[in-house]
Amino acid sequence: MQARAPSCASSTGSPDTGSVVIDDQEVVLASPRAAIDRRIGLVQQELAVIPDLTLLENLVLGQEPGALGRIDWKAALVRAKELSASVGVDIDWKADAARTSIAIQQQVEILRLVYRGADVLILDEPTAVLAPAQADELLRLLSSLRDAGRTVIFISHKLDEVLSVADRITVLRSGRTITEIERGAIDRAGLAAYIVGDSEVAARPTTRGTAGEVVLVADGVSAKDDRGLSRLDGVGFEARAGEILGIAAVAGNGQEELAEVLIGIRGTTAGTLSLDGTSLARTGVRARRRLGLGYVSADRKHEGLALGLSLADNSIATPALSDLGRAGWLRPGTVAGHVKSVLGRAAVRFGSSSDPASSLSGGNQQRVVLGRETIGKPRVLIASQPTRGVDVKGIGYIHELLRQARDEGAAIVLFSEELDELRELSDRILVLHRGRVAGVLPGGSSRTEIGALMLGDTAEGHDR
Amino acid sequence: MTTAPTHEAPVAPEPTDSQAPFARRVGVAISRVARHAGVPIVIALVVGAIVLLLTGNDPLEVYGRLATEAFGTPSRINATLAATTPILFTAIAAAFAYRAGVFTVGVEGSFVLGGLTASVIGSQMGDVPPVVSILLPLLGATVAGGLVAVVPAILRSLWQVDEVVTTLMFNFIVTGLAGWSVQSFFLAQGQANSSTDYVTENAELPALAPPGQTSWGLIIALVLLAGYAIWMRYSTLGFEFRAVGSAPRFSVAQGLRVRTVLATALVGAGVIGGIGGGSHALGLVHRYSEGFSANFGFTGIAIALLARFNPIGILIGAILFGALNAAGATVQLFINLPVQIIDVLQGTVMIFAVAVFALPKFRKLRAGRAERKRS
Repeated sequence: MQARAPSCASSTGSPDTGSVVIDDQEVVLASPRAAIDRRIGLVQQELAVIPDLTLLENLVLGQEPGALGRIDWKAALVRAKELSASVGVDIDWKADAARTSIAIQQQVEILRLVYRGADVLILDEPTAVLAPAQADELLRLLSSLRDAGRTVIFISHKLDEVLSVADRITVLRSGRTITEIERGAIDRAGLAAYIVGDSEVAARPTTRGTAGEVVLVADGVSAKDDRGLSRLDGVGFEARAGEILGIAAVAGNGQEELAEVLIGIRGTTAGTLSLDGTSLARTGVRARRRLGLGYVSADRKHEGLALGLSLADNSIATPALSDLGRAGWLRPGTVAGHVKSVLGRAAVRFGSSSDPASSLSGGNQQRVVLGRETIGKPRVLIASQPTRGVDVKGIGYIHELLRQARDEGAAIVLFSEELDELRELSDRILVLHRGRVAGVLPGGSSRTEIGALMLGDTAEGHDR
Repeated sequence: MTTAPTHEAPVAPEPTDSQAPFARRVGVAISRVARHAGVPIVIALVVGAIVLLLTGNDPLEVYGRLATEAFGTPSRINATLAATTPILFTAIAAAFAYRAGVFTVGVEGSFVLGGLTASVIGSQMGDVPPVVSILLPLLGATVAGGLVAVVPAILRSLWQVDEVVTTLMFNFIVTGLAGWSVQSFFLAQGQANSSTDYVTENAELPALAPPGQTSWGLIIALVLLAGYAIWMRYSTLGFEFRAVGSAPRFSVAQGLRVRTVLATALVGAGVIGGIGGGSHALGLVHRYSEGFSANFGFTGIAIALLARFNPIGILIGAILFGALNAAGATVQLFINLPVQIIDVLQGTVMIFAVAVFALPKFRKLRAGRAERKRS
């Protein structure tokens, strides 16, 4: 929910409506370069530090002191030491960036923006990659930047950090400003209520599943993300036939990784998965799909569909493809029949099955995915953000398809950022926090109950 | 665990309506080729005309002469088709791999080793019954061409090592090995330049219309081209080729055989290139010598890209480049024209062909920028 905010202000994305105002002047930030010229600097989660250079070289890169192509390294070092002293951190500027910790690299990146004259610093989830002690040091650094007269926009979902460091707090939910609060005017529980939203939507009439035998078992599953950071830490659960198991978490707490681990796109570092009592160790996506796993990817445009290929091609692209032919050749009649039943099952509205998938609306595209993934009566359907980018009417239909698959006996593992969706569909809701199971709640639980677990209010206490 | 390909397909092939009648599909393909290849060709002709003017030639006269030298008489058409044959093979080979998003540049190496193998085996066919005497050298060429690509295929499909680098390096290795082995083992006696013995008469691919040089190699190439078209459209693995080439992450998430596709794409391109080299040896030059391949492998890449892997486009593109080669060789008999001008023309067609592929991206970029300015 917060992920897109920094890109508008620093102009890696651009707003559709609205304006950015700096010093009472409305500005159009057409490029990241323009943002830098306006003295706005962004520290992204992915650090832009070049590992082969020293910290000092990283600091001055692009704006080296000196003249006529000669770099005055002495002046650079003096300036660097002034900078680090001014914010009270100790940095060995001669060290290679690759040999220093993430925390130090992050500090250097922040100081680089200061070095370049940034007055407004935007930090996107900066403590996500830090150990608690390092996070405290970062917060001290940010405080001293503020004391020196700079503006710091600190984007985080860690309530304690926000409450300890912020002078003013803006709460965003689903891309809207919910409220703005002055320091000291609110406590942790109050802030949490704003974040999850306490308006209880009257539950729409819905059917629940009847849980059968245990189909999918995860035990002690751990995994890392693409950057090598631990994202899942000993996750365990059981999914039963004929039920929908909802997975709730604030973005970045391991949902994406868990979905990818279950289907086999991402490897595990520890733990076991089993389907109907058979271990899934050493099985890839292909083998798992053959054993009866289906997958609705959160990234519909790149993983869920091949947008450049036809609807027919998209409907048959699974390991079951070989059943549609003989001796390595597709039988056009069989293929056409299968395409018809996939598109018919999900009531996809389309012109010709040879139209590219990109010609459909988001909701219709997702129907193609759901039709394809459920036509073979999967044992387990992993559905990640199935209604993302789908209009209201389309959402209802996708929910219907999920319930249909559930009633046909599939165990559905539903990942969603929409709490109301989870509450409406799920028989049980598992909440992830920092890659661990924070708790399992009944499907009809309130937003407040789920939200408390999502924000880290476990029995052991707060998240820091 | 993941084997996501590193490259997106260099250009996206356009989907064709599989239900449309064959004749209409051919029509659509030709109009597409005209659209995609027409612009670069016209630009190349204009640039060529400027170069011709600067060098004191009359562009219209030269172009007219080129056209008559390429297609003017049956014997000139025969010569054009003879020049078309090797690059038709290499274009099919390149298109085969590029459909899967595998950007091999190793067809050149496969063509060379295929040619050498066919020449060496073909020179020993004196006592072998006919037909077998052609099939054996061709079989050797096939295996040799595929072998060249085996190591890049393993590196690519198992460890995601970039195929552009490995196949390019294998070209150097293969060309060096071929030259060395000719010098050391297969050198023909009494020849001025270093080459193998001529293949025996029964190992030669017969000419289609003697005394013209176009051989049965052209028929083999056309059969391969048809096979390529049918296989991509109707085979299971061909389907997976298209999926991996157009949406690599999708293919991984769908559990398609990504590794198999990547390995098959590389080895398959090598095999087709090898058959091409073998046919060139048995059908046209009848031996292997230094400079056996006039960069046919790279011309094939340009043709495959120009045609966007469309089979009919590949045929037209190959004939076009074949015509330039054939006419360029003889047009100097009539006009005082440096042969390099032909290379300039070919080079410009290739450059603008690649530039035209960038156009859709450029338009998207510009539209996005305009939108941002409005808001």
